[in-house]
Amino acid sequence: MSVAQVKRIAISDSPWPWLLPLIALLIVFTVYPFFYNVWLSVHEFMPRTRSLKFVGVDNWVQLWNDARFWGSLGVTFAYFAVALVIELALGMAIALLLDAELPGFGALRAVLSMTLVIPPAIAGMMFLLLQDPQFGVVTYLLNWLGLLDKSTPILATSSTALAGVLLAEIWQWTPFMVLIFLAGLRSLPAEPFEAAMIDGASSFQMFRRLTLPMMSRVIAVAVLLRGIDLFRVFDYVFTMTSGGPGTTTYTLSYYAWQQTFSFLKWGYGATLSLTSLIIVMVLAEVFIRLAKVRW
Amino acid sequence: MATVEYQRIGKSFGSVTIMRDVSFKIDDHQFVVLLGPSGCGKTTLLRMTAGLETVSEGEVLIDGKRVNDVHPRDRNIAMVFQNYALYPTMKVYDNIAFSLEVAKLPAAEIAKRVDRAAEVLNLTAYLDRYPKELSGGQRQRVAMGRAMVREAAVFLFDEPLSNLDAKLRAHMRTEIRQLHNRLKTTTIYVTHDQIEAMTMADRIVVMRAGKVEQIGSPDDVYDRPASKYVADFIGSSAINFLPGTVVAADGGAAVDTATGQVRIDAAVAAQPGQKVVVGLRPTDLVVDANGPLSAKTVLLERLGHDAQLFCRGADGSFVAIVDKAARFPEGSDVRFAIPPSKVHVFDAQTEIRL
Ligand SMILES: Nc1ncnc2c1ncn2[C@@H]1O[C@H](COP(=O)(O)OP(=O)(O)OP(=O)(O)O)[C@@H](O)[C@H]1O
Ligand SMILES: [Mg+2]
Repeated sequence: MSVAQVKRIAISDSPWPWLLPLIALLIVFTVYPFFYNVWLSVHEFMPRTRSLKFVGVDNWVQLWNDARFWGSLGVTFAYFAVALVIELALGMAIALLLDAELPGFGALRAVLSMTLVIPPAIAGMMFLLLQDPQFGVVTYLLNWLGLLDKSTPILATSSTALAGVLLAEIWQWTPFMVLIFLAGLRSLPAEPFEAAMIDGASSFQMFRRLTLPMMSRVIAVAVLLRGIDLFRVFDYVFTMTSGGPGTTTYTLSYYAWQQTFSFLKWGYGATLSLTSLIIVMVLAEVFIRLAKVRW
Repeated sequence: MATVEYQRIGKSFGSVTIMRDVSFKIDDHQFVVLLGPSGCGKTTLLRMTAGLETVSEGEVLIDGKRVNDVHPRDRNIAMVFQNYALYPTMKVYDNIAFSLEVAKLPAAEIAKRVDRAAEVLNLTAYLDRYPKELSGGQRQRVAMGRAMVREAAVFLFDEPLSNLDAKLRAHMRTEIRQLHNRLKTTTIYVTHDQIEAMTMADRIVVMRAGKVEQIGSPDDVYDRPASKYVADFIGSSAINFLPGTVVAADGGAAVDTATGQVRIDAAVAAQPGQKVVVGLRPTDLVVDANGPLSAKTVLLERLGHDAQLFCRGADGSFVAIVDKAARFPEGSDVRFAIPPSKVHVFDAQTEIRL
């Protein structure tokens, strides 16, 4: 292309020259894999012949009858719900605290965002060490506080393993909530709060009747962003427990990964991940509808 | 019920001082109107009274107690904000009811008060709407309703009717006055509207660039403006100022101006030879073929009940209110007279009333 031609495109009114690169990327990395996934879910890999064989709805029937799938779905939902509730509540509490302009809080706000630059798999490794039965700090602290028996390895005990994984999750992602909520709190108009003070409202009443409702859109965004991510939890499970002990930390993504890459059941793995996608989409849609406000 | 007292109030935002040495006292039950041009500090004074703005200097006393450091929620004040400050996530009903709800009044009592306020404010049809679904005037009335349902010690109104049409404004004016007659709550009311100030106030406080220029009853302020500034600011049609020199005239004093000689009241403390400015209200000027003031007509503007006659005299433009039936061909000579008691005389230098 000549310079003149490039110039002509750059100043034309057509949006396409600008959109096309993005659309191309979307097709290559999102649209095509999606349809390939759908196509895979009605096939299965035959290791002996090294070929894909059409199996119709077999994978979907198997899914329906698969206790492991239902178990992993249960674990995923439990993980999702506990992490989301704690991260929201803790995130809001810390954000409210840091919103005050006290000396040192600026630095604190900057430090907070540091957990977000650590790759989740590395954070998982860190917490694996922190919860090591012999020399882990978390193990030591819990023993010292009398909350945990000395002989109990956190990540290898069925009653505590999921909590151990959640610890890494919450540590790493609560700051994400804090940052979103802080931005939200900072953009709230001051006038309604002044009016509420004059109307005699206490701090708690102002929080419940003004801050929370006015923050509802911000909270909705945080729930969506984090919720979708939570549903796909993989890194922490992979690095810390490999789904164990038993199936207590066996999440849907981990199960799908294992079926695909360990057992080479490509079709069934695709079916599992597609299921995950459908659930997330339905949940997101329902949530977006619920979160719609008139004011 | 309470008194409000300001003692040498000063206010600075950073290095900018916008208010200095404001002192006055508002008696219990009084209805005080704050008047002054845009930016003179009216809103700031109200906000300091409410506790929303720190007081940089001096003291605010409510009922004799210093409240500089008292939290707004503990001052028992109701306020209508200039920008309404409605609760965006609450419907009109809850906006009005909020103060009663947080005070945990019985639901029946809240409903009664809100319904009553909504009726007075013509808001009954909108109780189920959110603020963003209202017009500017409707929002302003919600802000008004929020204050009206309170049983506060002091009402602060910051231009509460500025966005209403003339008819609704007149209606609300009487409603507020009646409300005040009934509750007798001490009120500070900011307005730009001369009629509002004149009809509602027990006392008017005229402010100028962060200072108090004059305090007095509406009649005081109108009939005996303490300075040229007040004379200029008060009155619905702008006052005419003519510079001149005091001279002795038969049995009294007069001021020689380029437009003509104006007799002044014997009570005016002016020395012959003193440079002064006389203020002549357009409404006080009478068309009189033998009058001392002469001018040429420029334009007649009919105002409905009477007419405004713009003229050009030796000192520049000159306005008089005249009978609308009268005819004044453009460019014709016209002469005016004015009773000496209506002539306001100010020192040319200090601009203080003599
Ligand atoms: N937060 C602030 N920071 C700096 N200056 C301010 C602040 N608030 C008000 N001012 C200044 O203080 C002065 C008085 O403002 P104020 O709002 O009290 O005026 P006002 O008399 O209410 O005017 P209006 O009739 O336009 O509402 C103005 O010059 C304004 O620029
Ligand atoms: Mg103002």
